Amino acid sequence: MSSHNSANDPRRPNKIHRYTPPSSTGPLEDPTPEYMNLLGMIFSMFGLMMKVKWCAWAAVYCSFISFANSRASEDAKQLLSSFMLSISAVVMTYLQNPQPMTPPW
Amino acid sequence: MKATILLGLLLVLPSVWAGQANPHGADLDDNDFAEFEEIDEEEAAFEQPPQQQQQQQQQQQQQKQFGEQPKKVVMAPVDDDEEEDGVVEDEDEFEHLDDEEFEGIDQDTVNLRKGKDQTPPPLEITKIPLHLRTNWDSFYLEMLMLAGLAVYFLNFIAGKTKNSKLATAWFDAHKELLHKEFSIVGDDGQSKEPTENHLLKESEHTYSLWCSGRVCCEGMLVELKLLKRQDLINTISRMLSPKSDQILIKVTMEETEMDSFVFAVAQKKVASKLLKEQTDLNFFCAEKKGIDKGNIPPSLQVLSEIGEATSAVFDKTFCAVLNRYESNIEFIHFSDQYSGPKQQDQDTPTTLPETKKVLLFCFNVGDKGRTTVEDMDGMKELLQLVIHCIDKVKRIKLTKEAKMKAEKNRQRMHESYLKQTHSQRQEAAQLRREEKRRTEKERIMNEEDPDKQRKLEVGVALFYLIFIF
Repeated sequence: MSSHNSANDPRRPNKIHRYTPPSSTGPLEDPTPEYMNLLGMIFSMFGLMMKVKWCAWAAVYCSFISFANSRASEDAKQLLSSFMLSISAVVMTYLQNPQPMTPPW
Repeated sequence: MKATILLGLLLVLPSVWAGQANPHGADLDDNDFAEFEEIDEEEAAFEQPPQQQQQQQQQQQQQKQFGEQPKKVVMAPVDDDEEEDGVVEDEDEFEHLDDEEFEGIDQDTVNLRKGKDQTPPPLEITKIPLHLRTNWDSFYLEMLMLAGLAVYFLNFIAGKTKNSKLATAWFDAHKELLHKEFSIVGDDGQSKEPTENHLLKESEHTYSLWCSGRVCCEGMLVELKLLKRQDLINTISRMLSPKSDQILIKVTMEETEMDSFVFAVAQKKVASKLLKEQTDLNFFCAEKKGIDKGNIPPSLQVLSEIGEATSAVFDKTFCAVLNRYESNIEFIHFSDQYSGPKQQDQDTPTTLPETKKVLLFCFNVGDKGRTTVEDMDGMKELLQLVIHCIDKVKRIKLTKEAKMKAEKNRQRMHESYLKQTHSQRQEAAQLRREEKRRTEKERIMNEEDPDKQRKLEVGVALFYLIFIF
């Protein structure tokens, strides 16, 4: 290893620092996935309890948005579970009441 | 004579009336059964299939009506009552028969027999809930929802691919340059030995690259903060207010290689935002006058602590690049006291935030969101600027006065920080004292020997006296 080649070659193999993933800076980063996750859960619970169809559909949308915005470090299991919950909310609401949704207008 | 004639007439009349009474021939007198005879006939009629009966029943009904009316007109009230009773009875009887004994007869026939209309009443279809399989058309809202989901999914796939393409394009364009400058390019920090060429995917819109192994800097983290093309809502909101992809480069300098100064150059709006948010800029670069701007474009604003250092940074190459890539530069921030943005939501922490010596560069790529692969190629010069700055900063040596000024500023910061946390530290000390008192008391309570107890009490009292004063 020619250490006197420093005039031309700025590389220093002996000075390597390993990559440490920066500790999550918390609320500074975009909180969208967490909010959407929570909102999705609330909507699906509400849709199931009150048998309101549009709530269940909104839950599906929320969980999808949360999935799209999620970071790689986040747990895939939680996303999948919220997705399954929202889909089950939709299915249950339709089983209980097979009427189509009526638009509010 | 006349009286006998009258009597005779009176006797004859009822029999004449009676003769007209029952169209079926049965005498009224005889007659508790006249109506029942009618009923019997009708009952027999029921045994035939209902369709055939309809005609018969119609006829019977008509006859009964016609038959009943003259009765009502001619006869005395007494008879009317009977007839009415008879009529009601008939109806009741028929109703009873209809509902319970004869299943399968249409509504139509029942109505007819009740004598409502000559024409069959309009068929009323009872409302049953619409079923999914029978009536697709009415589910148009559901179809809309599903279509929306499909659109979102397609957009997700498209955005994800585009972002990934842009990131790899950037990496490919800059790989050579990075390999020349750094010993390790793209370490992922996972394995025991440093690995190479890992462009880490933080999320669908954020990629990062860690380079290390160079003189005077610990390492360089490049973060590609691309637009959220995978999120449809974000895409739509970007149509209203366009934003650009950003490349954030953070070079961590070695402790000995950077003199103490804080400096930033940024777009005007960004500069004011940084001034408010970043702790170090906020404290050190508060004064805006007397800054030698040098030859930089007018849209960029300079924030500086030590004028000398700033002028040293603004050398020819730096200014040239700045002028050429004016729109691409979001901000450039050098600091030896970098500790990140101010923490607004917490109380002032009990310890000074950790500071690092960093050089931060934030570049905008492309033209407000419409980034292409070629734009990534064009970023090479800016990376070269980064390398140039690293070397430059290493060579900057402040004069004595500048050093003293810098030292004073830092001292000031430390003091102000201590003042802020003074009350907090007092509280902490108070708590500690309380704790000690409590433990002492406990020890006294637990002590069995009364002598020892007394001694301890005295000792504790003395201790408190000394402590308070």
